Amino acid sequence: MATTTAAFTLSSSDISSSPLSKSTTATLTKAGTTTGLEQTSGMSRRILKATETSIADLISTTPEFTYTADKANKVYICNSSADSTDYVTVTIHAEEIGRLYVGDWMFMPWSASDSSSDIRITAASTHTNAVTLDYMVIGEGNAA
Amino acid sequence: MATTTASITLASSDLVSGMAMNYYKTATLNKAGTNTGLEKIQTGTREYLATGAVELLDESVVTTSGANKVYVKNLSTDATEYFEIAIQSEVLGRLYAGDWMFIPWSAGTSNNITVNPSVATSMKIEYVVVHE
Repeated sequence: MATTTAAFTLSSSDISSSPLSKSTTATLTKAGTTTGLEQTSGMSRRILKATETSIADLISTTPEFTYTADKANKVYICNSSADSTDYVTVTIHAEEIGRLYVGDWMFMPWSASDSSSDIRITAASTHTNAVTLDYMVIGEGNAA
Repeated sequence: MATTTASITLASSDLVSGMAMNYYKTATLNKAGTNTGLEKIQTGTREYLATGAVELLDESVVTTSGANKVYVKNLSTDATEYFEIAIQSEVLGRLYAGDWMFIPWSAGTSNNITVNPSVATSMKIEYVVVHE
């Protein structure tokens, strides 16, 4: 059984009258158990050329990934580009989650419940440089 | 201008044999397309005593298509308990006990964030929204 942890810290000394300091660590386990997640895509990198502005799959539910639906899968995505005005829009199915600007990252659970649960990305139509995305899935496989 | 940072560390010594993993990333949370820090924040904790999808965050409280960020954590300690998290009607995934998430949030029309607790026996959730 693997042990994987995801630690998070959110802090600010001046966003409110009281300093903000939120920290937590989750041990990533299979759904409803204390057994660690055992499958990962590994950290991957996708580079969108300046001409690529159409919506595209980033993380697919198709068989090569074989992440079990409605389990405790996790997804990490980071916009590692350099131009501060560029962003990518992250969607699941047809629903927009949000925009990752340069340096922004996200970490979320992923149901991968059917083929419409692909995680897709769209670079801003105004971007003039390549957009670099780092991403990883940690989850439960069909055989797990 | 406020300065707020969000950091993540993903670590495992045995997820992949012979290749210890220790990824770290920190982001300064800025307004869309700028180097100006986000300046507004909402925090809260909620308790649910019934199952069924309910609204956690309404899109009307933040700027549409901004660089808003949302943190949510399932405060349960029972490993079998989870919240199903959705934006509008699209399910993102399940947050099991102790799990957390941190996502950008466009907050477009009807893009409310909803949660659906798996049991009706006092499940708690905490959240922070940092927004424009």
